[in-house]
Amino acid sequence: MTDAIVIGAEADGLAAAHQIMRAGRSVVVVQEHAPQAHTEGWVPRAIAMPGVVMDLPDPWLRAVLPAGGVLELWQDVRRSAEAIRRLSVQDAGKWPEFCERMAKLARLLEDLYLAPPPSLVDLRFAFKIRRLGRMGMEDLMRLLPMPAAELLDDWFESDALKGALGALAVRDLQQGPRSAGTAFRLLHFHVGNPAGVFRPPVSNYGALARSGVNVRQAQVQRINVRAGQATGVMLASGEEMRARFILSAADPRRTLVDLVEPGWLDPDLVRALRHVRARGVAARLDVELERAPEWKTLTLAPSLDYVERAYDDAKYARVSTHPCLDAIADGPRVHVRFQYAPYGAQGDVAGAVAKLLPPIKKVAVQSPLELEQSYGWPEGQPHHAELSLDQALWTRPRPELSGYRSPIKGLWLCGPAMHPGAGVAGASGYNCARALLRTL
Amino acid sequence: MKAYDAIIVGGGHNGLACAAYLARAGRKVLVLERRERVGGAALSEEVFPGFRFSVFSYVVSLLRPEIIRELELPRHGLQILPLESTLTPLANGDHLAQWSDHDQNCRELARHSPRDAEAYDEFGLLLHRMARAVKPLLSTAPPDPASLDPRELLDLLRLGRYFRRLPEKDLHALWKLLTMSAADYLDEWFESEALKGTKSASGIIGTLLGPRSPGTAYVLLHHYMGELDGVFRAWGFAKGGNGSVSAAIAAAAQAHGADIRTQAPVAKIALRGDRAVGVVLENGEELRAATIVSGADPRRTFLGLVGEAYLPGDFVAAIQRYKFRGSSGKVNLALSELPRFSCMPEPGRHLRGAISISPSVDYLERAYDDAKYGEISRRPYMDIVIPSVLDPSMAPPGKHVMSIFVQYAPYHVNGGWSDAKREQFGDTVIDTLAEYAPNLKSAILHRQVITPADIERIVGLAEGNIFQGELTLQQMFFLRPAPAWSRYRTPIHGLYQCGSGTHPGGGVMGASGRNAAMAILGARA
Amino acid sequence: MLKTTPFHERTAALCASHAWRRWAGHVVASSYELTHEREYHVIRAAAALFDVSPLYKYRVEGRDAARLLDLVVPRNVLKAEIGQVLYTPWCDHAGKVIDDGTVARLGEGLFRITSAEPNLRWLEDNAAGMDLEIADVSDSIAALSLQGPMAWSILESLGAPPLKYFRITSARIRNTPVEISRTGYTGDVGFEIWMDRASALPVWDALIEVGQAYGIMPAGMLALDLARIEAGLMLIDVDYVPARKALIDSQLSSPYELDLGWTVDLAKERFIGRDALAKEKARGAQWQFVGIELEWHSLERLYAEVGLATRLPSAAWRMSVPIYSGGEQVGYATSGGWSPLLKKYIALAHLRAPWFALGTSLEMEITVEHRRKRAAARVVKKPFFDPPRKRA
Repeated sequence: MTDAIVIGAEADGLAAAHQIMRAGRSVVVVQEHAPQAHTEGWVPRAIAMPGVVMDLPDPWLRAVLPAGGVLELWQDVRRSAEAIRRLSVQDAGKWPEFCERMAKLARLLEDLYLAPPPSLVDLRFAFKIRRLGRMGMEDLMRLLPMPAAELLDDWFESDALKGALGALAVRDLQQGPRSAGTAFRLLHFHVGNPAGVFRPPVSNYGALARSGVNVRQAQVQRINVRAGQATGVMLASGEEMRARFILSAADPRRTLVDLVEPGWLDPDLVRALRHVRARGVAARLDVELERAPEWKTLTLAPSLDYVERAYDDAKYARVSTHPCLDAIADGPRVHVRFQYAPYGAQGDVAGAVAKLLPPIKKVAVQSPLELEQSYGWPEGQPHHAELSLDQALWTRPRPELSGYRSPIKGLWLCGPAMHPGAGVAGASGYNCARALLRTL
Repeated sequence: MKAYDAIIVGGGHNGLACAAYLARAGRKVLVLERRERVGGAALSEEVFPGFRFSVFSYVVSLLRPEIIRELELPRHGLQILPLESTLTPLANGDHLAQWSDHDQNCRELARHSPRDAEAYDEFGLLLHRMARAVKPLLSTAPPDPASLDPRELLDLLRLGRYFRRLPEKDLHALWKLLTMSAADYLDEWFESEALKGTKSASGIIGTLLGPRSPGTAYVLLHHYMGELDGVFRAWGFAKGGNGSVSAAIAAAAQAHGADIRTQAPVAKIALRGDRAVGVVLENGEELRAATIVSGADPRRTFLGLVGEAYLPGDFVAAIQRYKFRGSSGKVNLALSELPRFSCMPEPGRHLRGAISISPSVDYLERAYDDAKYGEISRRPYMDIVIPSVLDPSMAPPGKHVMSIFVQYAPYHVNGGWSDAKREQFGDTVIDTLAEYAPNLKSAILHRQVITPADIERIVGLAEGNIFQGELTLQQMFFLRPAPAWSRYRTPIHGLYQCGSGTHPGGGVMGASGRNAAMAILGARA
Repeated sequence: MLKTTPFHERTAALCASHAWRRWAGHVVASSYELTHEREYHVIRAAAALFDVSPLYKYRVEGRDAARLLDLVVPRNVLKAEIGQVLYTPWCDHAGKVIDDGTVARLGEGLFRITSAEPNLRWLEDNAAGMDLEIADVSDSIAALSLQGPMAWSILESLGAPPLKYFRITSARIRNTPVEISRTGYTGDVGFEIWMDRASALPVWDALIEVGQAYGIMPAGMLALDLARIEAGLMLIDVDYVPARKALIDSQLSSPYELDLGWTVDLAKERFIGRDALAKEKARGAQWQFVGIELEWHSLERLYAEVGLATRLPSAAWRMSVPIYSGGEQVGYATSGGWSPLLKKYIALAHLRAPWFALGTSLEMEITVEHRRKRAAARVVKKPFFDPPRKRA
């Protein structure tokens, strides 16, 4: 019998497995889905291993301007300011200060992200916030519940700049930039990045972490529970695997409602889990171009109104007529994100992409439905639980579960739906495994 | 000339309440009102001969019972009649009615969804608990979390302790209410569209937000707040219109010795150094007092009456950032007969309550979509009451007055507000409502259309926002109206704020006025 | 408007007192005659006919029907035989009682559960992923309760088959298909008759017609309330606050605290609230729901002190009355009254450990001529009245 079974072989499951192995315990990782090519998000130093490379294009953002040309934002704050100056002298002047203030708040979050979420009434957390000083504190308190659009309107006047940043704030979220709580997301995806960079990097963490771990490809059919204690898993093949601990990186609804037999959990919790919002809103396209473009990245989100209107379609379960697009090129192969394409909605996804890109040779579209099938993302939502303020920090994904431990003894949750989740590579798994190990 | 301890700028209900409390404590108080009568937006007027209207605010939702009690408002003529029901007509000729009687209400809900009828009580219980948790905050001056002032620190600790004592699950439920959208929150409980639409409507009132915008769930609580105070229904109608609320508070203030001067517009607040020493009226007259209290909204108070030059830069920036974004208008109708709603054509009890045009969350969200891009909602949300049914003195015998609160009519409408735009807005409202009540058009004797621009012009509320600033999370509690200045004081010594633009703000509540008076008197509320 | 039951046409015509009360959104007669006295005595002497249609009723059918109910209630439903009826409370995850009612096994995969509060959402939510259907038959099934020593004779004359205690069977009354269960809320011999809404009136008429010879009388809620107190049966919202309505934790009750420990089958591996109940059982319940009896001499003395003869409540009361031991409040009574049959003043009460032990001497608050007094009382066995005929 192994000490632990980890369900899921992406960053979080693997980070959890590595922590457990480091503590001298045996682990089997059950891989249910095809591995993803890259790991999205910043890899914290505690989690990264030798050889991990985070890839962030420079410029990290090239936003297409409606009047022609592009706005380029660079990893170098001053260079970005120079680029912004062509659109607005005022905005160029404010950019460095904006970057500095955001970076300061992001550092506070960074501390919070490699530990279980603070309690809502945790005095230590309160004191930490007070240490930000009056301006930092006011920034944080105003910023958390704020719409990204309002934050950006406070600072800037250029539509192109606000549109591009606004689109980043609502990535993979069924909200628009005018929705409250989206400014926080700009900050969330900023964590771990250098000042002035608001796009999460991609890395080879998953591929690297998979080696050296006992990974089994199988489908989990049930988590076995005896007398309130998880005893192992039953695979689709009928085979039973036993372990002292089960760590599931699958989404909490699947883990606790679908895989566990009814009756073990509080029906009120089950009801709450059914209401965890996980709505996939982005389709992903793998495009092969006739020839490699001269850019590494290209973004279409020309204004906040544009992004907001794209969201309006999604509210009524329609694919955006004018979507937000974001392309990353690797030679002639381009990976494009198309938002909004709500789960289950039908619409022309490839057409809009063709208009943005140079001549296309081949295109493969993955709608949220297909992403669900390929990667097990509930409703195609890569974060497993939308990262909105009510599903973040101490309430991620639900307050009863925010400590990684499920109500079933020996069953732990370690997927992206847990704090901090949503694109901080492996951090949920890392935090979960450490919380588990502390109980031994 | 009589010497005053305090001068209140603005005779709205909060200014009057503040004056009444100060006068009750023995201060010599003068209220200065720009218009010919007090009341601000809580005003009754005979707009058309024989027809009296609550011109602007039209229901009493949360008027603090302690104010009614302490100022003995019933003695000064205040009577609040309950609005017993809410009727939501639906496009298909059906309706959803919410009744005050529990059994009747359940039966009606069950007609739409038995699950909803069952969930309704549990939902009510949870919100009741939340309302109980939040209620003490309404009468508290919010401490500034960044403050180093020992008294505020003490308040902060007291507040922290209060919240730490609440059961954790209540705290989390509260967090959810604060951060979620009304639509998402209601989706967790109910399935019937009409119920979700009507309930979520209360979350969008006075904001330029839609029911799917996070932060709109919190206002759902307000409906349950009243119950804690022994009010049977949260919503009521003041006999004689909402002007009677102001009149009763004014009478109470005068009974305690306060003076009230109308047609006395204040041009500026006189300063000596960083201290307020009096006010200057538009006619040049100067009045002195050691304490000046402004019931005007924060923008008017600081950027208008004080002036940027006399205020710290970051404070000015905060006030400039403070969002008003008025989004609602009003249509007041004089009717020759009662409206006949297709879903319930006969005159009946349902006309004694509110009528809500909110058939679904999507309906409201679409109304918001228009406003978001600067258009009047093509099919707006409406909250309708027929005061003459409850109080026949509002209209000539057999005739009626109808008050229609409409959203969205954005202040920043594309092309700006004009007379033609106002009429277009009025037509949109009447056309939409006539689809539900076909006899409406022929019954209209007179109509008065009020846009946010009108509210700003007449009452003086910036951008026509009925709450003196949006009630969103980043403009609430210790952030209202600006961080560090939420305790009714201002950067100017001797100048206080008592309007709805301070905590807790919102509606004809009076809590801001009372809290401000308590802060001035140095007493703990 | 309030709902009326399928029998309203008959009951309204008979309700000379015009005294109605609400029950689950319906109007039902409090008493038919001007006082409820005769209606009470008929329960114990002949046969009383109650309209119990307002009960919530759910039909659960399908392969997993037994599994669902076994999950929801603490009693063992899997072991129930076809034709068996189980009285049971059910709990939330914390082991606190949500509601109580009966579960009748009508077939291998067919059950009917009755409850005092709506439970459709609760049942549906817990049935997610199970192979079954839940139908709310509250309005479509009418129900009568025929209670008293002559009840069986009446049904027998109508051709009903013999029935054991807590069993249910299909039958026909004058060709109308019905189900008859040997259950009730009076602690006497009695039956409940379940039928389609459409056939309600013919069944009522048949029972009244045949019952005349046996002294049948329609009876209202006041009479029923007295009888159920004598039978020691608790009433939701009166004797306990259901968990969904509790505003604070101290209002919650577990089955152990309501003297329903016998319904909790901890041998079952899984049911809602099991873990919490197992812990509570190990700990021992801190409260108990017991019967108390006031001492006549004490009552008589308290009234004599002010020059009055002993005054007794004419109907059952339902309110919270403090109970003391020494100077300390050790509990509270929630319903009580004068038993016309036993000639005793009885009450149902919640008492803290150790005062709930049988025979403990207590004092209950009573108001004598506007002054609060304490009458001597003691804990006695429930039911206060338990005739052997009930099970015979």
